[in-house]
Amino acid sequence: MRRSCIIIVTTAVVLAIAAAAPAVAFERAGDRKILVFSGGQPVPVLDPHVRYDWSTRMAQQSFYDALAKYNGNPPQLGPWLAETWESNPDATEWTFHLVHNAKFHNGDPLDAEAVRYSYARGLRLNKGIAWMLKDFLAPDGIEAVDPHTVRFKLNKPYAAFISFVPWWYIVSPKEVSAHEEGGDDGQKWLTEHEAGSGPFKMTRWETNTLYQAEAVPDYWRGWPQGDDKRLGGFIYRVIREAPPRRAALARGEVDFVTELTPDDYDELAKNPDYVVPNERGMTTFGIKFNNQSGPTADINLRKAIAYAMDYDALVAVYNGKATLETSPFPPAIGGYEAVPGIPRKDLAMAKDYLAKAPAATNGLELEYVYVQGLEEERRIGLVLLSALQPLGIKVNMVAEPWPTLVARGSKLETSPNMSAVFVTPVSTDPDVIAYQYHKNSWGQYFGMSFYNDPQVWTEIDEARAEPDWAKRAPLYRKIQDQIVTDAPEVFGMMANRQWTYHIYVKGFVYSPIRLTGEVDMYPLWIDAK
Amino acid sequence: MLRYALRRIALLGLMLFGLVCITFTISNIAPADPAALAAGPDADRATVESVRHEYGLDKPLAQQFATYVTGLAQGRLGRSIVTGRPVFDDLCRYFPATFELVLLSMLLAVGLGVPLGMLSAVYKDGWIDHSVRVFAVSGIALPTFWCGLILQLVVAVQLGWLPTGGRLSLLTSPPAPITHLFLVDALLRGEWSTFGEALRYSLLPAVVLSLPCLASVLRVNRAEMVDILESDYVTAARAHGISSFRIVTRYALKNAMLPTLAIIGLRYGWMLGGTVIVETVFDWPGIGLYAVSSAIASDFEPIMGVTLLIGVNFMLVNLAVDLAYGWLDPRLRAA
Repeated sequence: MRRSCIIIVTTAVVLAIAAAAPAVAFERAGDRKILVFSGGQPVPVLDPHVRYDWSTRMAQQSFYDALAKYNGNPPQLGPWLAETWESNPDATEWTFHLVHNAKFHNGDPLDAEAVRYSYARGLRLNKGIAWMLKDFLAPDGIEAVDPHTVRFKLNKPYAAFISFVPWWYIVSPKEVSAHEEGGDDGQKWLTEHEAGSGPFKMTRWETNTLYQAEAVPDYWRGWPQGDDKRLGGFIYRVIREAPPRRAALARGEVDFVTELTPDDYDELAKNPDYVVPNERGMTTFGIKFNNQSGPTADINLRKAIAYAMDYDALVAVYNGKATLETSPFPPAIGGYEAVPGIPRKDLAMAKDYLAKAPAATNGLELEYVYVQGLEEERRIGLVLLSALQPLGIKVNMVAEPWPTLVARGSKLETSPNMSAVFVTPVSTDPDVIAYQYHKNSWGQYFGMSFYNDPQVWTEIDEARAEPDWAKRAPLYRKIQDQIVTDAPEVFGMMANRQWTYHIYVKGFVYSPIRLTGEVDMYPLWIDAK
Repeated sequence: MLRYALRRIALLGLMLFGLVCITFTISNIAPADPAALAAGPDADRATVESVRHEYGLDKPLAQQFATYVTGLAQGRLGRSIVTGRPVFDDLCRYFPATFELVLLSMLLAVGLGVPLGMLSAVYKDGWIDHSVRVFAVSGIALPTFWCGLILQLVVAVQLGWLPTGGRLSLLTSPPAPITHLFLVDALLRGEWSTFGEALRYSLLPAVVLSLPCLASVLRVNRAEMVDILESDYVTAARAHGISSFRIVTRYALKNAMLPTLAIIGLRYGWMLGGTVIVETVFDWPGIGLYAVSSAIASDFEPIMGVTLLIGVNFMLVNLAVDLAYGWLDPRLRAA
């Protein structure tokens, strides 16, 4: 009797398992298709005025709108909530004229007061995006002139102002105020909820795991692919490790993935069932020297290393899918100019510079610190190690968690001799790159070289306050030239951006201004039965 | 028995305090700056300092410790710097998933380990014994992440029998919570297809998590059974004509279970810690994955919260094992 019970229970369990539905290629909700996107990074805080990174901004871009939006390659700033805008001659006053039909997900019209509220909130919280504008704009400098006109009065000229506007999302003042707790400006609620006007609204939020959004059928801007084709929604599924992410793609559990390895992308590109975009990125990689402390404070040693580096091997780390930097500025940045004489491998020149570096006379060991878990940075370290052997320089490769690397780089005394740093600009304005070399950036991860050239700082300050591009551009040419001359880092490469998606996914639009794995969900659709 | 239990409970309190001191010290020794991470990569120094002040990270370490311990006494485990959410709320959200996984893994480990150990002992030195022992060694020797990835590749991708990860399919709503364990809640609600789906999703991670424990239980059980089956009273029982099945299951097993219980207790703690890898490979939304996210961000209070939770669980389970020992073996109670 006991034995037969065991058999019955076991059979029931097996049948229950078998009866559950198998995985499908994409999800559906009614007659609409749901796209499943997967990456390794969760969205810890959705509040658009508190945090941003690639996964967070992908979600924010879906739920919220901004006055303007970047699109295309090269990225162009275009109207969005604001139909038009203008500034006064010295770029201290910017006036935006809003569309008349935008509305929040709760049905409230999106007006100038909502814009004023949102910008004031972002400045007041002083987190996340605040750094972009807080030195130039105060909350009382924002005025809702009328329901569809908002004016920003900057406290000093800032030519780059407009370039940051696409990242300042507009939240519903009514929703945020209704969910304030203990004067927190709605931060707790907005961590996992949205109060936006964007093409999607949130339906499910499982922190660290899964985020689901449904399309807003009557989105005020309409759907570029046509209402009949648009998605019913999307799901962002967090799969931390690349192999399971790839496995989920192969099994049809996800439609679109990012953050696979270069080898994975190469293999998937051979499969006709997948599309593997391969686009030039804007993220620069540099081996940042400590310019003021230790042996690398000597410019001759820095140049020796820069000329010894095997630049072709840097591209090979990405299986050829990378482009060497020809300037501290990526090409998509305004004012970019290829700097003649940017170091390339030249062992003879490297040895010449080395001979002028006193620290290197008795052999030398330098630390190369990279982010633990970033395989490409580790391989680049091996390239560096091999490249410096002919110079008699030993490289001690140290893997640190990102927080530790940031902590070390925040102080001159602890900043490593050489640090592996990727930097992704958040706007196309050259100030966003140039300012990394300003002394005010010391201690931040992109400033851990502690670059020290007061003339360049003066030029940076002058350029950012100059509204006339004809006068700004020459300043940035000089800045680029001088930075290369000063050799604060080994100027590495820009890795291509790659994703993989099933062939039935359509409408993907690449824009290099988007962060790492970020994809704009708005124009996508699924072309399959 | 009561005195025995009270002694064990008093020791528990001391061990917990020691755990709090150790985790706090280790978390704060690490040369990371969680305030810089929370403020964002592009934040200037003023913004970082304001975040540091908001979370009390600018206070002296001793004061931070006192605040933390006071909070613990009031049931507060601090706040995540990255998300701003109370750690206690996060643990309540994630722990049921881990507990469900560990429970299922434990059931697999004990449910298979004990019978296989018995079988191996009964057919000692036969092909069954050798196969089972190879399996046991593999279970202990093979790294968990490797087993997970291989099983995922073969079973989920190549064969398509089971999903690659997650707790339920993307569009299935979880059953309305009673225990927050999907399998149990689905059964209690009569949602059979949800139960089946939850079981499908939990099988692979549970199997992977159970392997080391299964192997240990199997080996210990086999070793004990071999000894016991060669003892005098078993020989006497055989001589009296009692069936082998009855001897093994009624006479020998009870005595063999004592050390096996100890292993199960120890292994529960290992399993809780082992969920970090399994949950990462299978995207199981439990405290392991939460711990990984927090560690990457140097978010100290969640890391301490997870460590304390695992520590408390481990201590409670071992307390239960010690009490079970006392109940099973009257000699321990008398001592």
